[in-house]
Amino acid sequence: MAQQEALAADLLRGHTDTIVLGVLRGGDRYGFEIFKTIRDATGGAHEIKEATLYATYRRLEKDGLVEAYWGDETQGGRRKYYRITDAGRAVYRSNVATWVATRRVIDSLLNLTETSERGADR
Amino acid sequence: MSTEIHRLLDEAFAGVELDPQTQDLKEEIRANLLARVDELEASGATPAEAARRAIDELGDVRELLGGPDAAGATAGEAAAQGSEPGGRRPEPRFDATAFAQHRVRPRPAFVLRTVLFGVVAAVALALFGLGVTSLVSIGVAGLLGLAALVAVPLGMLTADALLQETTHNHPLPRQRAAGFGAATGVALAALALAGAFAAYPDDTALVIAAALLAVVAVAVFAWLGATQTNRHKAWTRSAAEQLSPNRFEEDPEAAARFGIYTVVIWLVALGVIVALGLTVGWWWGLLAVVGGLAATMLVLARMLFRPRPPGG
Repeated sequence: MAQQEALAADLLRGHTDTIVLGVLRGGDRYGFEIFKTIRDATGGAHEIKEATLYATYRRLEKDGLVEAYWGDETQGGRRKYYRITDAGRAVYRSNVATWVATRRVIDSLLNLTETSERGADR
Repeated sequence: MSTEIHRLLDEAFAGVELDPQTQDLKEEIRANLLARVDELEASGATPAEAARRAIDELGDVRELLGGPDAAGATAGEAAAQGSEPGGRRPEPRFDATAFAQHRVRPRPAFVLRTVLFGVVAAVALALFGLGVTSLVSIGVAGLLGLAALVAVPLGMLTADALLQETTHNHPLPRQRAAGFGAATGVALAALALAGAFAAYPDDTALVIAAALLAVVAVAVFAWLGATQTNRHKAWTRSAAEQLSPNRFEEDPEAAARFGIYTVVIWLVALGVIVALGLTVGWWWGLLAVVGGLAATMLVLARMLFRPRPPGG
């Protein structure tokens, strides 16, 4: 069971860029909001480390897929918000298309299509 | 909320040299830590506990700073600063391999659509021109129909082009592309209505409609421009960074001088136009326009693409 979780985390980490872009598609977010969205989606487990995310933001910004700007919070720390760019949206779409195609191939190779599920029940 | 988290953050960054980028990262982390501490305290942790847990979850900040990206950027900057002592940058070079790797060929269907839209608009524009100059009697309704046949295909052509992935750019999202296409169509319609008004000066409704459409087009373009984000591909951006900046970017004073020269050239040209117009006839004023344009281009060539003095 533990091994299964580790594998899922690996797979998830491989798609960190796309996941962050996907979160930002819904609106501008700052680091902790992005982290929380991912954490809540994975059922509270820290599948993607904060440290990984900071490196991801830096890379996405360098490639022009997101833009960063500081919020105008008056108390506490000022938050650094990220906004997805047109290039980011295009990359997100093409990454999602790649993932869907890959998932279809893996599903079929693992006999997870409907016909084979019947076979597995037997 | 205690100040514990700020102390722990300073501790985590102790011994790290705070250049602007690191300072930036530290402030970003601070806001995120504060949000996490709030969350932990809301779920019942004591302030000290919450601060300790939040900072533990962050891990070693040195890892964040020593990422491959950071190292690459620092090395690159150092190389750029330290390379040529005379202040000359390495020659800009067109990266043919990167271009070939990212090459996107236009789709045949897109090329065909563009040609068809273009042909329709060109024919309509030619007929519109004949109608406005009263060489062919078309009537206001006919002119408006032709205006639509110019504006709509060219608007669609614009939107269609922005939706295409190119070698350098990602496609624009559908809504934005449609917005640019619509604004282009509206702007062209405004121009056409103004043209129709020139042919039928009695019809004031034409000029009012033209003004309204122009305002709408300007507003939509302004909104699109203000909300525009990057659409260049990553390889385009890194290629652009490697190119040396042009003279006006390196030397803003030269750019300012060029601006003043341009104003002077065109003031002189305007004076010459008036003088020629009042003496030998207004059509001769065009000569002054041609002269002004030529002078501007020569100054631009001399100032923007300055010949390198021999020996650097």
